[in-house]
Amino acid sequence: MINLLFFGRLGDFAKQVPATIEASTPAEIRQLLAADFPDLARELHQPQVLVSVNKMIVGWDQPLFDGGEVAFLPPVTGG
Amino acid sequence: MSMSTRIRIQQQDFDLAEEYQLLRQSDSAVGAVVTFSGLVRDFELVSELGSELDRGVDRGVDRGVDRGVDRGVDRGVDRGVDRQDQSSTKNPIDLLSLQHYPGMTESLLETIVEQANQRWNLIATTVIHRVGDLVPKDQIVLVGVASQHRTDAFEAAQFLMDYLKTQATFWKSVRRNGEQQWVESKASDQQAAARWDGSDDK
Repeated sequence: MINLLFFGRLGDFAKQVPATIEASTPAEIRQLLAADFPDLARELHQPQVLVSVNKMIVGWDQPLFDGGEVAFLPPVTGG
Repeated sequence: MSMSTRIRIQQQDFDLAEEYQLLRQSDSAVGAVVTFSGLVRDFELVSELGSELDRGVDRGVDRGVDRGVDRGVDRGVDRGVDRQDQSSTKNPIDLLSLQHYPGMTESLLETIVEQANQRWNLIATTVIHRVGDLVPKDQIVLVGVASQHRTDAFEAAQFLMDYLKTQATFWKSVRRNGEQQWVESKASDQQAAARWDGSDDK
């Protein structure tokens, strides 16, 4: 299972999303979510949204392994 | 000379004088200390809440640097595009909340400080960022740099803030009139960070 995290405004779209999912890449997660959460999937397709695996920014085709943590990150606004 | 780094992400406030003393006392070679502290403003411009990046609009170029001082009163006037927003330009916030990605934020800040270390001769660096609920006039962030000479400290402090704002995993939301709204990223912040991309602009 892959653990899912959604930050910033993405969290507002992901309140009903299960905490874990079975998938082999972040791109596949996005695709799987599109069925039940089309608004969220549309947000995840925004080019500014980054994805991290185990707290490292990666590409959408990064292979995932059981127990991994995938986070979806909208543009940051700290400071 | 060994470089010392102090990175903190915390809910509680920080004491600027105390942090300054730590930097000042870090080494007898310190000849310059620069500190920057960022505060919660009492309101955000409506146009700042709409993402300039999302709209592909590049109006932020010259506004970013002094935005904290010039609080935007009347600024809408010479901005044809935003005129429809003028009535709500000054819209005080009740609360600013900061979320972050624990674990990732710390390692990103370490990386940013390490990059500053490679570019400038630094003796000690402090980065403190608050999370949780804040109100206007609260301190949000502190960047402090100690070096032998002032140029290194000045430039590194600015670099650290520019990179922190565009790379560190923090997200702000504001509450006004009981409604929560996520703050959008600014094109001007991206441009401020991009100026460090050249290899020898030091």
